[in-house]
Amino acid sequence: MSNQARTVDPGLALQRLLAVAVLLAVWQVVVFSGVLPSMTPGVVEIAAAIGSTITSAVFWASLGKTMLAALSGWLIAVAAGTGLGLLVGSLPRLDRSSSILIDFGRSFPVLALMPVVIMMLGSNTRMEIVVVALSCLWPVLVQTIYGARRQEAAVVDTVRTFRIPKLLWFRRVLLPGAMPFIATGIRISASISILVAVGVEVLSQAPGIGRQITLAQQAQHWDKAFAYLFFAGLVGWGIALLLQTAEARLLKWNRQANG
Amino acid sequence: MAETAVSTRPDNARRRTRTVRTGTSPAARLLERSWLIAVVFILWWVLSARSTNFFVPSLQEILAVLARDLSSGVIPDGAAYSLTNLAAGLLLAVAVGIVLGLILGEANRLRQVVDPVIHFFRSVPQAALVPLIIGAFGMGQGPKIYTIAFACMWPVLLNTIDGVLGVEPTVRRFAKVYRIPPGLYFRRVVLPAALPQIVAGVRVALPIGITVMVVSELFAATRGLGFYILNSSATFQVPETWAGALFVGVIGYILSVAFVLCERRILRWYIKSGAK
Repeated sequence: MSNQARTVDPGLALQRLLAVAVLLAVWQVVVFSGVLPSMTPGVVEIAAAIGSTITSAVFWASLGKTMLAALSGWLIAVAAGTGLGLLVGSLPRLDRSSSILIDFGRSFPVLALMPVVIMMLGSNTRMEIVVVALSCLWPVLVQTIYGARRQEAAVVDTVRTFRIPKLLWFRRVLLPGAMPFIATGIRISASISILVAVGVEVLSQAPGIGRQITLAQQAQHWDKAFAYLFFAGLVGWGIALLLQTAEARLLKWNRQANG
Repeated sequence: MAETAVSTRPDNARRRTRTVRTGTSPAARLLERSWLIAVVFILWWVLSARSTNFFVPSLQEILAVLARDLSSGVIPDGAAYSLTNLAAGLLLAVAVGIVLGLILGEANRLRQVVDPVIHFFRSVPQAALVPLIIGAFGMGQGPKIYTIAFACMWPVLLNTIDGVLGVEPTVRRFAKVYRIPPGLYFRRVVLPAALPQIVAGVRVALPIGITVMVVSELFAATRGLGFYILNSSATFQVPETWAGALFVGVIGYILSVAFVLCERRILRWYIKSGAK
C-alpha cells in the first residue's frame, strides 16, 4: 500500500525525506548538546563511515557470511518445520500430545542456548547455522500445524467418500490448504534468521556483520559500528519487504477467495 | 495499511479451536497431553547417562547442579536481576508504544510520512544494538533496560496503530458529532477498541524482550541469568552452562503461559463478545 502511495503522491515522498532530515538533525543536536556519551558520532561521521564501509571488501565478505548462515539455517528450518508440521497437524492425536512440547520450544530463547552449542561445535559458521535453524524452526512448525489442522469438514468427508489416495490428498488437499499459513511462518522465520544470525555474531567469534559491529565498538570505531548497524537494519528491512511482496503475489488466489 | 498488520496474523494460531471430545476423562486427557514429554525426558536421561563427551553432561548431573544453585540462591538472585530488567524495559516499551501508537493511529498524514522510518528501525537486529548501547552507556542496569525497551517497542507501536485504525468509522463519527473531548475520546473510545491488538503486540514483544535480556547479559554483565550462563561456559563449568540455558527456557515458557492467562483475563469482555 505504501508503495502505491509513493508513486502516486510526490508530496508524500518529499515529506518523508523531510522527516528523515528532521531525525538526522535531532541526532546531530543531541550529539552536540553532550547528552550522549562523547564518543557518539555525528551525522557526518556516520555518513562518511557508511560511504567507506560500502566500498570495503571486509563489509561485503561479512555480509556474505551473515547471509549465507542465515539462509542455510532458514532453509533447514523451513524443510524440517513444514515436514514435521504437516505430520503433526494432520494427526490430531499427535497434535494434542505434542502441544506442550511445542509450546515449550517456541517460547525458548534460543540465543540462551548458544553457549552450549558453542561448546559442542565451536565458535564458527556451522554453530551459527544450527542456532539460526533452531530459532527459525518454531514459527514454521507452529504455522504449518495450524494450517494443516484446519481442514473443512466438507472437504474431509469428500476425501473419505471418494477414497482419495493418500499421496494425492497430501499434494492437492493438505498442502494447498495449509499453504497460506506455511507462507506466513516462512516469512516470519526469514526475518528471524537475520536477527539471530547477527545476534550470534555479536556474541561469538562467528564471522559476519554482527562480529564487525562488536569489533568496531571494541576498537572504539564508533562511526564504523553505526555504519554496520545501519546496513544490518537495511538488510532486515529489504528482506521483510521482499518476502511481503513475494507472499502477496504467490498467494493471490487465497486472498481473492477470501476477500 | 497491510504492512502494519504483520505481527498480528500468526497470533491466530494461539486461539486454537478446542475440540471438546465427550467421553474422555480429565485423567486420560492429561495422559494424552503429557506422555510425549515424559518420553523425551526419559530418553534424554538414559541416553545422556552414558555420555562420555565432556560437553554433554548427563541430565542427572545438570538437574543436580540446577537444584544446588537454585537452593544456594545463585540462580534466584540472577533471575531477580534479569526479570527486573525485563519488566522495566517492557513497561517502558508498552507505555511509549501505546502513546505513540495512539497519536500515529489518529494522525493519518503523519503516519504515512514516518512509516518508512518506523519500518527501518523495526528491522534493525535487536542484538546488534547491544554492543553499541552497552559500549556507550556502560554495563549497568539502565542500558540493558533501554535496549530491551527499544527492541520491544516496535511490535507494540505497530499493533497499537493497527488497533486504532480498526476503530469503527461510525463510532469515530459519533464521538465527533457529540464533541467528546480528546482526553475522554482516547481513554474511553480508542484505547478499549485497540486493546485486543495492543495486547497481541505485547505478546509478540515478550519473547523479544526475553531474548534481548539474555543477549545483553551474555554480552557484558556482572549479574543476571545471562551472566550465569556466560560465566559458567567461560570457566568450562559445563553442567552449569546447560542448567542456566534450560532454566532460561523454563522461564520463557512460564512467562508466555502466564501472559496468555493474563490476556484471557484482560480481554474477557472481548472474547465473550465473540468478536472475530
